[in-house]
Amino acid sequence: MSVIRVLVANRHRLVRELIVASISDQPDIQVVQEIEHESEVEDAIDRTQPDFLIVTLDRNSGLPEFCNLILQKRPQMKIIAIAPDRNVTVFYWASLQVKSHPIEASEAGVLDALRGIVRPAARIQ
Amino acid sequence: MSTIRVVIVFHNRLLRDSIARILGKRTEFEVVAAPNSETLSLHEGIEDLSDVLLLDSLEYLFDSARQKLEGWSSRAFRPLLLAMEDDPSLFLRAVRRGAWGYVLQDASAADVVAAVRSVAQGQAVCPPQFTRFLFEYIATQTEEMPSSSRRKRWGLTRREQQLVPLIERGLSNKEIAGYFHLSEQTVKNHIHRILRKTGVSDRLGIGEVCRDSVSPIGTESSTQPKFEVSRVLS
Repeated sequence: MSVIRVLVANRHRLVRELIVASISDQPDIQVVQEIEHESEVEDAIDRTQPDFLIVTLDRNSGLPEFCNLILQKRPQMKIIAIAPDRNVTVFYWASLQVKSHPIEASEAGVLDALRGIVRPAARIQ
Repeated sequence: MSTIRVVIVFHNRLLRDSIARILGKRTEFEVVAAPNSETLSLHEGIEDLSDVLLLDSLEYLFDSARQKLEGWSSRAFRPLLLAMEDDPSLFLRAVRRGAWGYVLQDASAADVVAAVRSVAQGQAVCPPQFTRFLFEYIATQTEEMPSSSRRKRWGLTRREQQLVPLIERGLSNKEIAGYFHLSEQTVKNHIHRILRKTGVSDRLGIGEVCRDSVSPIGTESSTQPKFEVSRVLS
């Protein structure tokens, strides 16, 4: 079974730990590193070679700029961005240009996205 | 040991599920509900629900949202705010709105578990660095909100009452103006009216005539701690 390698980047420890707690029990998913500062992301990617980067969306704004740069430089990378203050999670990938698709903002939605099954967002309880 | 019943109201379902998972691994907790913040009304009628209510936003403690929450919990719930900003003014607003605890974004999941446990046991949870703001806030409130007997006796307005302790402390008009973001002339006008209402001839006398009043917490004003009051409290 191939393992999906995930890098989690968030400046707030609690959100980071909650994200890791929600995916780390899965046998086919490995959290390769948690990092606090966005300035460390590029180095961490080089070192750990993740399949996915999980970040959080800033309040009232879109994908952080450093993520756009990562997608442009590394089109094989896929990013899942979670909005802690909204029930929103978005899947980003690059194919000539950066594309995005909202996914179900739940543990199941994120796990499906990691496994290559994009579960569309829906208003859920 | 009795089970601690927890309700989690978070904007983001992933984070909500994750907290439920972390608490659910411990036998002392029972997550009885984790409603979406947008669907709180669906849970009206659920009674006797929680010991601790976990929230990720202060907005739930404002009137309309609070009515919703109280509508589906017949017991007095204990709100514990999680993943909050490192902002003393937000913390004080939370305390004023009835929060029992305030856990910062930089806390750990283990801190959350400990905080839920503490609140369930009747303790308040406060980031250590905010304790000082609580002390300052209480000191400020005591000084700035003279007793109703003083107000009744002299007919002082709220602003005039706020000026009295600063006049007592010997602050100049300029300093008082800076403290309240007023012009010096406005401060002069307030002091003129206080002198007229209290019938004393100069500002030194204002402190003397007002000092007779009993402070709200029953201590002499002269024995109260004097803090430099931070602007975040205003």
